[in-house]
Amino acid sequence: MSEAQRSVAEFIRRFSDAYILQDGPFLTPLIAVSSCPPSPALFSVANSLSPNQDWGRFLKPFDAQLGEIVNHHLRAIQFFYSGRYADAYSAFEKSANVFLQEFRNWETAWALQPLYTIAYEIRVLAEKADQELASHGKNPEKLKGAGSFLMKVFGALATKGPKRVGALHVTCQLFKIYFKVTYMYYTGRLEVYNENFLAADQKLTYALTHCNPKRTSNIRMIVKYLVPVKLSLGILPKESLLERCNLPEYLNAVQALKRGDIRLLRRALSEHEDRFLKSGVYLVIEKLELQVYQRMMKKIYMLQKLKDPAKAHQVKMEVVVKASRWLEMDMDIDEVECIMAILIYKNLMKGYFAHKSKVVVLSKQDPFPKLNGKPVGD
Amino acid sequence: MDLESNSVEKQQTEGGGQEHHPSMYPSAMPGHQPGILAARPATVEWNYPRANASSLENGIPSISGYHDDQRTKDPAAFQDGKSALSSTGASTTHDYSAYINNQNPADPYSHAYQSQYYNYQHSTTDSSHQQVGIVQDTGATYQPLSSFQNASSYPQTNYSSTYYNPGDYQTTAGYQPQAAGYQSSDYTQQTNAWNNGNYASHQYSAYSVPDANAAQYSSSPAVDATHYQQQYGQWPGYYNQTAPDVMCAPGTEHMARSSVSGGSSLPDLNQGYPAKSNQPPPPGTTSWRQDPPASSSPYFQGKDVAGFSQTNDWQNRPLVFGNTPRAQAPPHFQQTLGSPTFVSVDEQRKTGYAKSPKMPFTPPGQVRPNFRPALNPLPTLEGLRGSKFQIPTNPRIATNLAFSVSKTDKESAEKDASIAPAYINVSVPSSTGEGTSHDSSQSLAKGAFPPSLRAYVERSFARCKDDAQRLSNQNILKEIITKATADGTLFTQDWDTEPLFTLPATSADNVSKGPQISFSLLSLNKLKRSPSRRAKSRWEPVVEEKPPVLTTNLNPVASDSTILNRFTPKTAEAKFAMPPSSTFRSPRKQAKKTRFSDPYPVQNGGVSSDSDKDQELTKLLSGAISMVDSPEERRKREHRSKRFEKSQEGKAGGHKNKAFRAGGGRNKKSKIPFTAKFDDAPRLAVEDMDWDSFTVRGTCQEIEKRYLRLTSAPDPSTVRPEGVLEKALALVQSTPKNYLYKCDQLKSIRQDLTVQRIRNEFTVKVYETHARLALEAGDLPEFNQCQSQLKTLYGEGINGCHFEFAAYNLLCVIRHSSTNRELVASMARLTPVAKRDEAVKHALQVRAAVTAGNYVLFFRLYKKAPNLSPCLMDLYVEKMRFEAIKCMSKSYRPTVPVSFVSQILGFSDGEDCADWLRAHGAAITAHADGNLLVDSKATAAGLYMPEPDDAVPHGDSNLAVDDFFTAKF
Repeated sequence: MSEAQRSVAEFIRRFSDAYILQDGPFLTPLIAVSSCPPSPALFSVANSLSPNQDWGRFLKPFDAQLGEIVNHHLRAIQFFYSGRYADAYSAFEKSANVFLQEFRNWETAWALQPLYTIAYEIRVLAEKADQELASHGKNPEKLKGAGSFLMKVFGALATKGPKRVGALHVTCQLFKIYFKVTYMYYTGRLEVYNENFLAADQKLTYALTHCNPKRTSNIRMIVKYLVPVKLSLGILPKESLLERCNLPEYLNAVQALKRGDIRLLRRALSEHEDRFLKSGVYLVIEKLELQVYQRMMKKIYMLQKLKDPAKAHQVKMEVVVKASRWLEMDMDIDEVECIMAILIYKNLMKGYFAHKSKVVVLSKQDPFPKLNGKPVGD
Repeated sequence: MDLESNSVEKQQTEGGGQEHHPSMYPSAMPGHQPGILAARPATVEWNYPRANASSLENGIPSISGYHDDQRTKDPAAFQDGKSALSSTGASTTHDYSAYINNQNPADPYSHAYQSQYYNYQHSTTDSSHQQVGIVQDTGATYQPLSSFQNASSYPQTNYSSTYYNPGDYQTTAGYQPQAAGYQSSDYTQQTNAWNNGNYASHQYSAYSVPDANAAQYSSSPAVDATHYQQQYGQWPGYYNQTAPDVMCAPGTEHMARSSVSGGSSLPDLNQGYPAKSNQPPPPGTTSWRQDPPASSSPYFQGKDVAGFSQTNDWQNRPLVFGNTPRAQAPPHFQQTLGSPTFVSVDEQRKTGYAKSPKMPFTPPGQVRPNFRPALNPLPTLEGLRGSKFQIPTNPRIATNLAFSVSKTDKESAEKDASIAPAYINVSVPSSTGEGTSHDSSQSLAKGAFPPSLRAYVERSFARCKDDAQRLSNQNILKEIITKATADGTLFTQDWDTEPLFTLPATSADNVSKGPQISFSLLSLNKLKRSPSRRAKSRWEPVVEEKPPVLTTNLNPVASDSTILNRFTPKTAEAKFAMPPSSTFRSPRKQAKKTRFSDPYPVQNGGVSSDSDKDQELTKLLSGAISMVDSPEERRKREHRSKRFEKSQEGKAGGHKNKAFRAGGGRNKKSKIPFTAKFDDAPRLAVEDMDWDSFTVRGTCQEIEKRYLRLTSAPDPSTVRPEGVLEKALALVQSTPKNYLYKCDQLKSIRQDLTVQRIRNEFTVKVYETHARLALEAGDLPEFNQCQSQLKTLYGEGINGCHFEFAAYNLLCVIRHSSTNRELVASMARLTPVAKRDEAVKHALQVRAAVTAGNYVLFFRLYKKAPNLSPCLMDLYVEKMRFEAIKCMSKSYRPTVPVSFVSQILGFSDGEDCADWLRAHGAAITAHADGNLLVDSKATAAGLYMPEPDDAVPHGDSNLAVDDFFTAKF
């Protein structure tokens, strides 16, 4: 018996032991095909399996159901580790189907944990399989299949008794399959609240790209959160988008960012305060202030450059104070100084502040770095 | 029960060969039956569960027993009654079957189950105090209703079990199960014994219960003996009344006693008893005897002899009652042995039960007083554990004791007394127990009217005040004598010792005066009070004498309550499974309403005319109040009565909040409302209860009060009403003492407000005051408590400084919310009006400055912060400064003057700022002109946040040990 065969035999022995002894915690890691890192047993067998390998003789001692489960499962592992996800999914689904049949017959809920893993794995495998299929120009249908399989699992769980608790878990997997857009939308909103703008951007973008393009109200809901997120990442929307989505409340904010007009931002905030507070983006919009100041400084810098390129990188505080006065912002020199310090501190402006001379000395290279999708302060 | 009836008949036939007095039964029965019927509905509920649990004994037996008695006279009536209860047109045999079942070997278990079951019930009831009361009441009801010993025995069992569990003894459920098991074993044994004996199978059933007792008895023979004696005595008395055979009964009693003294086991006694009595084992009697033990047995095991004895007492009591009605002759009452026991107990104990002893000895006229005592037990209960009441020793009682209770068993007797007091009261009439013994001994002899009877008649007339009383007295005497003649007890009765019967209610006053009473009752004085007034005192403020008030109901201790319940049964109201509270509230009302055949009514029936029954009953109940006059007791009663008064007033007032002024004890709290509820509708569901009526109304007039976190229901006597609280607040506001004192005082004020459910502008004021003080002292936890309370108070529309605290709230949220959700939410909650408020505006600006990290703005806002906002902003100062210096050290080059930093970061002066900067790792250099400069580049690398100076290991500097030790209040 070769090393590989010994490894396969060992895996089968472990699997069957856990199965027969109904040891859920022990069985679970053997099922988690896609787990990373895989359990040692799974890893060793994964490396030992070869396409032509026949492990039928190891399965003879067991009843047909267990044999079938293990057989398909080993196939799934083999396909998975050879990167054939669609095949891995198919094999895994066969194994899982038999397992589910057996699960129905067990009176206890010992296999709930393995079943959770199966529910999770089948979704993940299906997603990978669909990616693979899509990349080969085939019809990505595996996730649908996984969904219908999970519905069967749900049916087996939604009964009276101890198995019932498992229904929630399966529901979550189903939710991820059938309502992924919704799922992403809500988790994205959550990220907005938590000011994790990058994650929020990713999730909301997924929701936007995957939602039904005909459902304009859904699109609007997503864009409503996506716009502030993008704004705080330094990405401005086209006005047409805001108009199309009927989100005029952001127009002023966008204009403020473009023009460096703090007035407009303040006006936007006060005009739509209730709306922003209700949707929870108030603080996000408010935080755009620094970007607006950055834009204002950039404008000053550009103007000075037009006048006198040699001294353009030195911005006197009195100039900034004058500018803010024009913008109807009642700020004295200390406040302006503070804002300059914050801009520098937050990397919105490169340079330093000379307190003695009350001058901001800008870096000659890229004094106003763009965010380019990075949040302020990073 | 059938057995009993049979036995009774047999006895009668044997003894006198006479048949029952037609007059007796008719007279007694009518009164009883209606009552029973009425009672059934209430009791039935309980019965069913019991029956289900195991044997039918509890529910059916009691009733059946009662009916059986009747049956002897009127079979038809009996059956009817039965059918009503069991919903089966059960014949006598039917009843038997039920009993037989009990007898089965399985029975022991059934018993056990029952006991457990009861426990279970009890626990359930506990959850809702009221229910407990109900249960107990039921039990009580049963006893009185049944009046017959058999019937009573089961209910008693139930009752007792419940009592024990909740009671002072604190016996747990576990204990009862044990008892059950114990019983079962005993039971089997006994059954065997019984089988050996003459008794029929049906008798077994009756015996089965006793078996358990028997076992217990064996453990404490002396006690057992006593009980038996009592029971026996009762029995005879009962029979005597019913028939001339009575004599036999006494004899049996003696026999029983002797056997007991011998230390023989109960079974022996039982066997011996029938044999010795020469009577064919009267099934009825056997069963009867057995029943009481059975009831007692579970308790007994769980508890002690004492518990057991108590149960016996209970049983006795019912018997007594039964006797009274039938016999209508005072002597019979007296003859019941049970009463003596009680007396003895009382004496020994000298507990509140003292009353009870008095009761027994009171002459017939005093019977009413006795009844009152029954009610008293509630009050006494309180006293039970704690203080001992002085009981006037009664020579007779002493004799009784010797007679009925073996002195070796004093302990048991004591225990009995403790538990039994209520019973004692009931048994008061039974004080005749002596009589029975005496009767037996004296018995036979004279012809015509014995001189003692003549003296008795004279005595009875002597106490009559007016013609009406004389008339009723005459009528009653007539009845008594007729009955005695019919019973054949005319000559056997010890008329000299026979207590006088109770006169009709109208003459209640007279009763108290009854000079005939041979016993010197200290409490007699009290009896003089008009019963009506006493009755009033219960529900209403006592005008003159506070002590007599029945406030005991309100006993704070749960155990007490249970006791109360237990006692309540005595009261007529209790019978009907009405909550105990009902009893207290308006016994009269209830009596009228329900018209059950209570023991009391029965007695009354015997003594007085039916028309007067209700009145009489109420009077009795009311009069029963307190016989003991010890100053201590009086004080207590006064106190209690006060509380009760208040509660009553509150109710009357209809102020929900104020309704419960009295509320002092927990029980009070829970029970009174309950009672009230039940008065109106006995079966209110929990969700229908008016919980507002539980609200406490404080009575404390002390302005200062230290805060103590409540570990129990609040005691109104330590809770200050709003007026006092206002003074207290003013005191706190003006006191020069430190925050710790103020905080303590304010917390107690808040507690009193909460307890009394006072939520008004004053409440807001208190919380605002405390919140501000807490802010000033930096006591954030306390501030947060106040703040959250204020939030809800404002939410209820109560006026206060909304905006100021809205601002505080905002400032807090900035600090506490880890995510922005809460901050956004609280901003969204602000109304447009609020946003125009200066304080709120300021807070919003601070919020913006903090989120933007705009330190310049922040410290400017700090300087112009309104109210106590700076206190909250203080919380951010350190953080803002550190962030600022971080920012500045990175953006300023090459240096920043310390003076500038000091200015914009709100330091008082440059030196202060320099110290702070150095403490945070800033590099400070001195300029040539003497000004200090922050070397920003060096500083940026070395900044750190030092440990706060005032850091304490537990993290709350407010709890610093020094403060703790120097705290002065």
